[in-house]
Amino acid sequence: MLLIGVAVLVLLAGAALALVLRDNPQRGWASLATQGVATVLVLAETLPLALRGGELRYRVAWSYPVESIAVHLDALGAFFLTWSLPLTLLGTVYAFGYLRPYFQTRNAGVQFALLNVISLSFVMIYTVESAFAFLIGWEIAAVAAWLLVVWDYRNQKIRFAGFNYLVSTHIGLFFLLAAFMVMHSQTGSMDFQSFGAFLHVPGRLRSITLVLLVTSFGLKSAFFPFHTWLPRAHSAAPAHVSALMSGVIHKAGLFGLLRFTLLLAEPEAWMGWYLLGLSALSALVGVLYTTTQRDLKRLLGYSSTENVGIAGMAIGLGYLGLCWRQPALVALGFTGGLLHLFNHAIFKCLLFYAAGAIYRATHTVDLERLGGLARRMPWTAALFLVGGLAISAMPPLNGFVSELLIYAGLLHQAVPPGLERALLVTAAALLAFIGGVSALATARAFGLAFLGTPRDAGVHCEGEVSRWMRGPMVLHAAGAALFGLVPGLGLAFVAQPARLFRAMLPGADASLAPAELLAPVAWTGLALLVTVAALVAVRRALAGGAPAPRHVTWGCGYGAPTARMQYTGTSFSLQLAEVFQAIVPLLRRDRLPRGPFPSGAGHVNTHSVDAVERRMFEGMGEGDGLVRRLASRIPPDPGFAFGAGLAVLVLVMWLLVAGAGGAR
Amino acid sequence: MNAVAILLHVAALLALPPLLLGVIQRTKALWAGRKGPRLLQVYSDLRRLLRKRPVYSQVTTGIFRIAPIVLLASTLVSGAFAPLLGGWAPVSFPYDFVVVAYLWGLGRLFLVLAALDTGSAFEGMGASREATYAAVAEPALFLALGTLAAATGHGALADLVGLGLRGPAEAVVSLACLAAVFVFMQVEAARVPVDDPSTHLELTMIHEVMILDHAGPDLAAIQYASAMKLTICAAFIAALVNPLPGGGLASAAANVVLTLVVAAAVGCVESLVARLRLRAVPQYVLSAVVAALVALLTTSWWQGGGR
Repeated sequence: MLLIGVAVLVLLAGAALALVLRDNPQRGWASLATQGVATVLVLAETLPLALRGGELRYRVAWSYPVESIAVHLDALGAFFLTWSLPLTLLGTVYAFGYLRPYFQTRNAGVQFALLNVISLSFVMIYTVESAFAFLIGWEIAAVAAWLLVVWDYRNQKIRFAGFNYLVSTHIGLFFLLAAFMVMHSQTGSMDFQSFGAFLHVPGRLRSITLVLLVTSFGLKSAFFPFHTWLPRAHSAAPAHVSALMSGVIHKAGLFGLLRFTLLLAEPEAWMGWYLLGLSALSALVGVLYTTTQRDLKRLLGYSSTENVGIAGMAIGLGYLGLCWRQPALVALGFTGGLLHLFNHAIFKCLLFYAAGAIYRATHTVDLERLGGLARRMPWTAALFLVGGLAISAMPPLNGFVSELLIYAGLLHQAVPPGLERALLVTAAALLAFIGGVSALATARAFGLAFLGTPRDAGVHCEGEVSRWMRGPMVLHAAGAALFGLVPGLGLAFVAQPARLFRAMLPGADASLAPAELLAPVAWTGLALLVTVAALVAVRRALAGGAPAPRHVTWGCGYGAPTARMQYTGTSFSLQLAEVFQAIVPLLRRDRLPRGPFPSGAGHVNTHSVDAVERRMFEGMGEGDGLVRRLASRIPPDPGFAFGAGLAVLVLVMWLLVAGAGGAR
Repeated sequence: MNAVAILLHVAALLALPPLLLGVIQRTKALWAGRKGPRLLQVYSDLRRLLRKRPVYSQVTTGIFRIAPIVLLASTLVSGAFAPLLGGWAPVSFPYDFVVVAYLWGLGRLFLVLAALDTGSAFEGMGASREATYAAVAEPALFLALGTLAAATGHGALADLVGLGLRGPAEAVVSLACLAAVFVFMQVEAARVPVDDPSTHLELTMIHEVMILDHAGPDLAAIQYASAMKLTICAAFIAALVNPLPGGGLASAAANVVLTLVVAAAVGCVESLVARLRLRAVPQYVLSAVVAALVALLTTSWWQGGGR
């Protein structure tokens, strides 16, 4: 615990140094060095806990009104800290390269200081067990993330995106405050351990608290329908900030959910179904939006909603397992969920870094204007491909391992036969659909940006990015490959935190079902690689060393193809979007040439908008019109209808009052 | 026995695919009143392709060259899990069908990327269609296999087929899953009524338009892999209705014969049914989802009744 205290001080000193030092490289080095030291210190404390289990408890005396802060580091918190800090450090390395063009003109010290502060907030959120300190850590993370997002604050759009994020995250904070207030009023304490005494007992107030918590944590992790802030914030922020927000910072929401899950002695079945349903909806809607985005970073933002949804499905399954007293389901659900959110951190950061590299080289992330970058940026292309394959859960990369665990849980024999089984098999089919659509989105994003020929002559590619930016990407890609080819590694990493959830079931055996499941997967990945290598050798032998002739692409007889004739991103996803028109609306404005001799050029403009956000703003912006339309439905002479409506109103009020009375 | 069985399995995996295509072609020829090509014609076609030297587009990158190899490799590996010779496979572990589905997804993804790599409007069109229909077909497969897993109490692909037609409930589940897998096979292997492999108009193609630029050994690899997927699906369907218990030589022989019968059925459908409009394909796939849902609800009703 002492080491973590020192790490906090080192991080604070680094933040201060980054603000006061004279030039930008010095500030960056100060941040990197202090974060490196802090990471080593924290890992020295957390690694044994994360890998071998156990816990540390400590109480820090503090002045009134906090009085004392309970510090409790268990395997769950240690697991989150063990990857959050190194990934933030890598993000800072990337930022060093990404912000370099601004070093002459802007003060990058604020960014570096804020990155230190983000690390600091992780240490707070993942270790403290007092509501007060937890909220402060929560708030530090939110405000720091907001300040990181508005780096380019001179642009009004970016200020708006930042403000949107700030408001959304505080709405989430209100829900969290409400939940804490309920628990405080019932227990008279601010310690999570005392909250546990209240959360052990089933009751209506516990259910309300859980819904409040899920809403708040869902907003933090951008579950549908609380995701509207996310695509804006991610497309506005610098790449390293988007990466860290999506991959690392917003996992705090899922951490909160898991932390409070540990305090529930036995969840009720509806909680599991609620979580599973909400998460499945998030995953479905998120993945559908990834298929239609033009902005690569917006696309990646939506895919966060998808992936937290997948992790949430696994957690919901774990809840059901706890409720049905099935240790196999608990193990598969929580192991799969924890592993998936860790895997997501690895490949999502990689993809955002690659998107940032594209932005650095071309000054745009508009997929409809890019193309053919693979030849100019071979490193970035290969690394993006690895990330894309991992996010589509393709073997032998890490995303597949966690999704296989989730599939195994959903299809497991331990699920009670009957309706429950049918619903979970349907959830597995939904996950398969999500996987298929995610593959489409990956193919579209990679294909449009890196393959084919450049679509817009106005976009100039400056070539491959610096080593500072490539280094973190290479490490992330190596991680995706390593955790995919050696599934046991990821499993060992999440084994201890998953064991905490297993221990919630009395008398559960300690053996790990996931380990047996994953053993053959490693061989499959290896077999695939060996087969590819063998076939490449055969292909070489068939070619006989002669260079293959090259020619233009076959245009089906048309002799003068241009780059503008390539398939566009909109047309690539149009067929799928048409099937799901209600969820993924495509706005279209056009002026088409008419008649046999059209005068003037026509144009078509398509725009994919977020249905939730659109409806929400419509409701807020045109609320008066909505009320007027409703009011106009009231007949001029109410008569009987009015009386009946009044009677129903009284009845509802009475039921509410009586119900509230019954709660006491 | 075991080594022999594995050898037989590998032989079936490598040798059956072109034969199946030959059976389909011959069936179609018979319906059309033609004599048709030899049953073994596809082997010669593949050998001819292997000797050719491919021409690559100037636009393409390494993705285009590696894609056919990844497709063939992923399909080959997936073949190890398939019950080609009845209810048995050389490699089998719980939920290996998820691995098979994602291996096929990997091959498909690379093929789609290769199509986009050429920068051709036509191939982009094919890629878009392939990715869309594959995504829509995936839930049908998982519903069917998940139902079989629930009904049989096993998780491995090779053990899913043991249900048979013993009772009315088992028969409904088996046949509905059979229908779902059959439709999935038509989508995955690009057969009529979803796609027509022998069409000559690029605008109406799905799979074929995606591989317009592939030639020589690359094209051979793609066609071979596609036929192998067809074989795996057909063998799975055959194993579903195979009356002989798995393991023996008789069962293996029966399964191969039934696989050829499934291929003949594919040929019959192609001869008798018109190609669907492209917009109607998702609805057609939906029918597979509905069939699988029927099987799922039957299973849950039948198992839930025993509680």
